[in-house]
Amino acid sequence: MPPTDTPNGVLDASARRRLAREISRLATASAHSVLRAPPTSVAPPARRIGFTGPPGVGKSTLVGKLVERRAAAGTSVGVLAIDPASPYSKGAILGDRIRMDQASADPRVFMRSVSSRDSQDGMCNNVADILCAMEVHGFDEIVMETVGVGQAEHAVKALVDTVVLLMQPETGDAIQALKAGILEVADIIVVSKSDLHGAPKMREVLASTVRFGAQRAVNWTVPVIGVSVETGKGLDELEAALTAHAGWVARHRTPAETARRRATYRVQDLVLRRLEDQLATLSPDDYDLPLPELYQRVLTGLAQI
Amino acid sequence: MSLAGKRILIAKPGLDGHDVGAKIIALALRDAGAEVIYTGLRKSPEYIARVAVEEDVDAVGLSILSGSHVDLVRDTMRHLRAAEGGNIKLFVGGTIPQEDNAALLEAGAVGIFNASQRIEDVVAEMDKHLAAD
Repeated sequence: MPPTDTPNGVLDASARRRLAREISRLATASAHSVLRAPPTSVAPPARRIGFTGPPGVGKSTLVGKLVERRAAAGTSVGVLAIDPASPYSKGAILGDRIRMDQASADPRVFMRSVSSRDSQDGMCNNVADILCAMEVHGFDEIVMETVGVGQAEHAVKALVDTVVLLMQPETGDAIQALKAGILEVADIIVVSKSDLHGAPKMREVLASTVRFGAQRAVNWTVPVIGVSVETGKGLDELEAALTAHAGWVARHRTPAETARRRATYRVQDLVLRRLEDQLATLSPDDYDLPLPELYQRVLTGLAQI
Repeated sequence: MSLAGKRILIAKPGLDGHDVGAKIIALALRDAGAEVIYTGLRKSPEYIARVAVEEDVDAVGLSILSGSHVDLVRDTMRHLRAAEGGNIKLFVGGTIPQEDNAALLEAGAVGIFNASQRIEDVVAEMDKHLAAD
């Protein structure tokens, strides 16, 4: 439930508690229970920024520093940090907070870590709904951090306005990026730890890749920015790029388009989870069926509520 | 034994700068299926309470080697209540003389651990307290 006064993203103790509980509920809710009472977003929506990239690239450190600066400048920020769960115990160490302790002590910041649990795309279950639940509290910005594992970049793209991709100063990563095609989802590319040897080279490689790749967005050239949180170098440039991209989004994307994109992700996420539940109900004998019949059986099962 | 689905904050209040024990406990809890959040060193009770509420944890485990465990437990509990997290279970571990147990229990801790205990026993006791929820 939204607070009674106009929410501005600065939460008192009970709003903090309420939002925290709502996120817990959504993070563990079945597709069915989400469908019974899906959270709805309110206008004006928060600006959403997603940070993604391989493990250890420095996402949490950068997000922590950036959020600290933006909050100090008066911006209220909700942070959702998604960490992977252990495939063995299903437990998790949610470590993003350690790198964000300055930011997360600010009253204008709400920060929450969630486990990716059994989510297939590196996000968490019901992530679209969690973002909506956060938005209700009136944050100026919502920042989502997720581990880059293949599909995650595409998922994050559907849910946020601006995708920031982090890469490390190691050439191996540039080749990986070209292979996986993950560069294509980035609106802004950051070469992290840019005080380290090899960073200028990495920036050059990425910049030329962006330059010679097919231009995907009209009137937007993806900037490649070297950032060192250690020295503070590049942070101003990154903030300027974020502002520029917000302007681009305002000029080139209609709210209806954004809503459609998010709705597509949301319904796809629910259907995929329903499919997983359905597959789990198959018996060993079912797998003896010819493929077309097995396929039909799963489809029929999906249609039953 | 299963802490599956439980969320636990491991926190280091006060000034001691040694967190090997805290990290070992964090890993053991993860292996028991819990989602574990670790604060890092030298956090204030107020900050710990805020994180506990934002992360909606079932339990907080304080690791304290500085000797000021009674005050820190009392302060953390006070801040937890102020942040509407009075129902979050508070555990404390570290170099804690047995004669302080009564004061710690009175200050709001539900479980007290020291370095002579086996990790499995620590996890089992936390599990027992949290299973009641």
